[in-house]
Amino acid sequence: MVPADLGSTGTLWTWTIQSFMPKTPYHTDETPETFTPYGVGYVELACGLKVESRLRENTPEQLTIGMPMKMEMITVRKDEEGTELLTFQFCAAEEQH
Amino acid sequence: MDVAIVGLGMHPFGRTPTMSGLEQGAAAVREALADAGTDFKRMEFAFGGSQDSGNADSLVNLLGLTGLQFTNVANGCATGGSSLNAAYSAIKSGQYDVGLVVGFDKHDRGAFNPQPADWGLDDWYGETGLMLTTQYFGMKIQRYMHDHGISRETLLRVAEKAFRNGSLTPTAWRQTALSWEEIDNAPMVSEPLNKYMFCSPAEGGCALIVCRADIAHEFHPRPIYLKTAVVRSRNYGSFEVFSPAQPPEVAASPTVTASQAAFELAGVGPEDIDVAQLQDTEVGAEIMHMAENGFCDHGEQEKWLADGVTEIGGRLPVNTDGGCLANGEPVGASGLRQVHEVCVQLRGDGGARQVPNEPKVGYTHVYGAPGISGVNILAR
Repeated sequence: MVPADLGSTGTLWTWTIQSFMPKTPYHTDETPETFTPYGVGYVELACGLKVESRLRENTPEQLTIGMPMKMEMITVRKDEEGTELLTFQFCAAEEQH
Repeated sequence: MDVAIVGLGMHPFGRTPTMSGLEQGAAAVREALADAGTDFKRMEFAFGGSQDSGNADSLVNLLGLTGLQFTNVANGCATGGSSLNAAYSAIKSGQYDVGLVVGFDKHDRGAFNPQPADWGLDDWYGETGLMLTTQYFGMKIQRYMHDHGISRETLLRVAEKAFRNGSLTPTAWRQTALSWEEIDNAPMVSEPLNKYMFCSPAEGGCALIVCRADIAHEFHPRPIYLKTAVVRSRNYGSFEVFSPAQPPEVAASPTVTASQAAFELAGVGPEDIDVAQLQDTEVGAEIMHMAENGFCDHGEQEKWLADGVTEIGGRLPVNTDGGCLANGEPVGASGLRQVHEVCVQLRGDGGARQVPNEPKVGYTHVYGAPGISGVNILAR
């Protein structure tokens, strides 16, 4: 295994929106009452690799195939010791109007 | 030695609270045996499967402890296709003369909730909310619509056709046609697909009696011949469900490879097919599978659906019994339902949903996670 720097930006290859709270194995601190829909997409990196990711944008109006995207880190939940568990997601690289 | 299908049995799809999945499978087998005018003692072998309703070979407790070879098959959505493929080989090889193929299932309500470890993935993938087949289906058709100019109206047309055909099918789960407005205004599940554009997990059983072609008339006056049964898995670079990343290389889906192999082995082409059942886990799948199976070019579906080409009276009727959309998906039985329906159509027993002009050659296609496809070509 050889580490490779893939960068942290790309373009949106496809997308959908997770509109209801998934069953297990989904595991966050959310409840059905506090659940917020999230985008899901594949982001095409400069090297051609497409990465599947949660997206910050979560309405059809905010998402267009080909739009520039950048990676950010988000908290999934806190574990028993209160440590924040992180994952990556992508969001629009440019301010949206 | 050619292979014939001489007995058809189905326990209606949908919900049967009073029966286990296994009992629904047994009911389907009894109907298939009666259709073939034979009994379980005559069966030399069986291939069968269910995803959530136990071991298919425990059917012998309900059908008879006759000592036959009974092999359980577990291949996700392609379980039925793989069972039929195995039965085809068993007869083609000369090992056996007559046997049984069966599939059944009884799933909980709501979406499936697969576990990452069962698919070779780490827990984070599920915990962060990416382990949903519905997302994949939404994303695949979203990209396809962008690349090939498919409109939302075409998605609606597929759903409308499915429930209309279901309303003509006595064994279907959804027997009520839905209006354009009902489908159009249904709650969104996974953009661009809404509630009536997805099939649901369900219950049901389906069974087929298969035999050597030269003894087929001992069982049924109108045997249907299984010209070929092909199953293929994915190649590196094809876009499949539960993929944390996709390589730059792009490969054709297993549907394309299975379809091409099936046409070659059967010695026919897409233009020879009179009726087809194509996996329609959701409306986008039916649209993409029309092209992936070689029936039309990518993007041509827009015109085909608008022109009614895939309606029961059209040039290539697709999913004449309402498909997965109207029948739901009991995983173990679903692929066999497609074969059952094509046999019904080729026999001319389709009743209100019968394809006109005496169809001669039929086609079935199943697709499932994690990228497996089964194609059968049948003729009378």
